[in-house]
Amino acid sequence: MTVSRRILRLLLPAAAGLCALAALSAVAFILGVLLLRGLGSVDWVFLTTDTKAAGAAGGIIFQILGTLILIATALAVAVPPALAIGLTRVVFLQNRPRAARAVDALLHAINGVPSIVFGILGLLIFLKFFDWGKSWLAGGILLGVMVLPTLAVSLVERLAAVPRKYIEAAAGLGLTREQIISAVWLQQSWTGLITGSLLGLARAAGETAPILFVTAVFSGATMPDGIRDSPLLALPYHIFVLAQDTFNEDARANLWGAALVLVMLVTCFNLASLPLRLNLHEESRHV
Amino acid sequence: MFEKSIGSHRGTEGTEEGRKPETLSVSLCEKKSTILSVKNLCVAIGRTTILDKISFEVAPRTVFGLVGPSGAGKSTLLRCLNRMIEMTPGSRVSGRVEFHGSNINSPTVDADALRARIGMIFQQPVIFPTSIEGNVLFGVSRLRRLSRREAAGVVEKSLREASLWNEVKDRLRSPGQALSLGQQQRLCLARTLATDPEVILMDEPTSALDARSSEAIESLILRLKASRTVVLVTHNLGQARRVTDWVACLCPSESSGAGEVLESACCDAFFGSEACRSVFRTLVDDEALS
Repeated sequence: MTVSRRILRLLLPAAAGLCALAALSAVAFILGVLLLRGLGSVDWVFLTTDTKAAGAAGGIIFQILGTLILIATALAVAVPPALAIGLTRVVFLQNRPRAARAVDALLHAINGVPSIVFGILGLLIFLKFFDWGKSWLAGGILLGVMVLPTLAVSLVERLAAVPRKYIEAAAGLGLTREQIISAVWLQQSWTGLITGSLLGLARAAGETAPILFVTAVFSGATMPDGIRDSPLLALPYHIFVLAQDTFNEDARANLWGAALVLVMLVTCFNLASLPLRLNLHEESRHV
Repeated sequence: MFEKSIGSHRGTEGTEEGRKPETLSVSLCEKKSTILSVKNLCVAIGRTTILDKISFEVAPRTVFGLVGPSGAGKSTLLRCLNRMIEMTPGSRVSGRVEFHGSNINSPTVDADALRARIGMIFQQPVIFPTSIEGNVLFGVSRLRRLSRREAAGVVEKSLREASLWNEVKDRLRSPGQALSLGQQQRLCLARTLATDPEVILMDEPTSALDARSSEAIESLILRLKASRTVVLVTHNLGQARRVTDWVACLCPSESSGAGEVLESACCDAFFGSEACRSVFRTLVDDEALS
């Protein structure tokens, strides 16, 4: 082996390792700062009481509930069209590659729209056109549309990975296309839908821009009791306002506590999707 | 097509001694009725013609073998017999395939209902990621409503018919994919039998199996013909000789490359024919043919 090849063989893994270490260090640094600054604020009272004194006292219960309402609404909004898009893309357009590519392009286009644009669109549609005022439903719909590509792409990937032999075996038994969809396509790809949902919701939970205009308020809201003029408190917006406006030391401590809770929430979604993702990779090795 | 038929019907005159001069055995080869009839079938995928003017008939409760060199279109032909060919993108079919005298390619024929009556076994066993019981019931439970008791009855009957019951009766809830390859293929057969098809199409069902499992499938095929018709694609001439009643040989045409029927005759006559020897001499030694 020549000297240059020997150097290359040593350099390549070293460079890759350094890059990976740098990325992991950044994540570790953020988590470390959050834990260091926020852990002191997070206790049972913080998690279960309402905000007081403009965030300087009390807790974040309605921010947590508001965030959960938003992501549950986003899920309800995004899952049916994601299923429809996935089935259309993989099952109904399997012999029409051009149309399938058009669906892919559309999904990537939606995925590429900046979240602030969704916020402005929401403002125009829900506040100006429908005159809803600030509403939890508007935010849920916007977040649903935002996470739709993540869900749909994850489902498309899983549907496309369904072995062709299963489809043919089911067809050979005389099952109709609808029966094959429910017995084979969906049975084999539900993990993709759940993985996509959890990843999408992890993203939705942290989004501030789309809910900034149409849903979130800093204080004065509890649980929604209708659609019109039913704003929510949400963790990302709470953090955004505190970070921007407060000079109070207690409020700053609570800000880090809220940020830690949000990160934990998102981490929970990511961790929940991990076994399914690992299972998916394991299965793909055996197909 | 039957004008070509020579030799004796297997089972009536044995194998080796049954090879008689053509003039003596024509009447013994005649088929009295037909369950499947293929007339001038042509298949193209994209711009490539795969099959050209294929014609033959299959008698009920017999094993009909399709043999021929690789690339002759045997599997494609098999897939035309229950319209599975429609799942191949860009496929075009012309000509007639008649099942009980009705053209299955007619737009009024429900392809799904047809496939429930003409089942299919593939080269590699396809086991769904569920239990043995779940695999047997996979098709039938969706084709008709079954009570729990009926379902248990169907599972036992189908597994017995596929000679698998004794091996799996104590572990019906175990994953089907944990079975050996030979058992998996018999499980596929049980799953197909559960839907009670009249005809079973088998696409080289033993090519992935060891000798012992192949033998088990072969005896199963011989038992099945008491109640059903089997169309068997095989590369194994010995197998064709052991289990088929009638054999059609598909060969790629020298001019177009599309598969065409070179010979169709009852088993013994087929293996005694010069056409068969000329096709297979290059592929196998004379011992396999004799």
